[in-house]
Amino acid sequence: MAAAAPSVFLLMVNGQVESAQFPEYDDLYCKYCFVYGQDWAPTAGLEEGISQITSKSQDARRALVWNFPIDVTFKSTNPYGCEIPHGLTPALSFEGPQIVLSVYGPDVFGNDVVRGYGAVHVPLSPGRHKKTIPMFVPESTSKLQKFTSWFMGRRPEYTDPKVVAQGEGREVTRVRSQGFVTLLFNVVTKDMRKLGYDTGPPDTQGVSGPSPPQGLPR
Amino acid sequence: MAMAEVHVIGQIMGATGFSESSLLCKWGVHTGAAWKLLSGVREGQTQVDTPQIGDMAYWSHPIDLHFATKGLQGWPRLHLQVWSQDSFGRCQLAGYGFCHVPSSPGTHQLDCPTWRPLGSWREQLARAFVGGGPQLLHGDAIYSGADRYRLHTTSGGTVHLELSLLLRHFDRYGVEC
Repeated sequence: MAAAAPSVFLLMVNGQVESAQFPEYDDLYCKYCFVYGQDWAPTAGLEEGISQITSKSQDARRALVWNFPIDVTFKSTNPYGCEIPHGLTPALSFEGPQIVLSVYGPDVFGNDVVRGYGAVHVPLSPGRHKKTIPMFVPESTSKLQKFTSWFMGRRPEYTDPKVVAQGEGREVTRVRSQGFVTLLFNVVTKDMRKLGYDTGPPDTQGVSGPSPPQGLPR
Repeated sequence: MAMAEVHVIGQIMGATGFSESSLLCKWGVHTGAAWKLLSGVREGQTQVDTPQIGDMAYWSHPIDLHFATKGLQGWPRLHLQVWSQDSFGRCQLAGYGFCHVPSSPGTHQLDCPTWRPLGSWREQLARAFVGGGPQLLHGDAIYSGADRYRLHTTSGGTVHLELSLLLRHFDRYGVEC
């Protein structure tokens, strides 16, 4: 049996876009896509998807449920293998993969408008992870533009939703956060430990850390 | 021998407890001399968020840093400046804060408290009516303890972060974290 050290590792993610909380909006669907740096390549599964349209339940929960499956596997493609030569900077960057979500719904005139964008890094430690992410929309710069866009059904949107996954260029945007989406991830990795990575204790509880700050649903 | 590496991946999620709304955060990472940033941006500025639900301003600003290090001194520190922006586009300081990047691998929820310089009673009155207020001349007082004794400050709100640490090759050097 060959005992050569592995040069790449695999990250397998499955899970779902579970549900959403948007107090002011109903009849929503969401699109997801994965954003990743040059060091990653998807090898299996789907990189993007569009969910069904869901309406709020009639009971007291007023829940918006999608239960939309996610299934993707990434491979790391660092050509330097496991060792970065001492003193040299690797040519490619890590840029862990992120999932970008866009939620859309009808406005009062029946047009499809964006209700929120959000993004979160795919967890790199094996185990079960539950993440609730805030969703925000770009805000109009003036009251007149706000009224015009409401009237015409053409709200401010990002030309490429992948902008949400980046930090650069954000300082000029004004946004309004107006909802949350809950995601569930199950992560399995292969050969990360052999390559020297320590990802910390496996998360088997689902939700980690102290109670969420005020504003996040419990 | 390969250098030890640290990946810091996560988000500046948002902030609570500030009296102002329409908040943004300028952030940066400061490290000691033994650390080298291999990839990622060392500093940035988040979007301006005006919350519709609750009082938490959400930024969801991604942080993805890759460090290589030869020593444990100067473990990375994240320093933050929270500003509020009014409808005219003017920015007013809401708080300074810093927190160390966690030193154990895994996912961590961080709550970073903030403070702002108080100033004289005249400056406090002016800040209440006209806005403005004293600011630090040199940003390194945010994350260093030297000369802090000169300041009289009041507290601002709390910045919430979620950071995941991925360490590599630390066991080769006998480092336990």
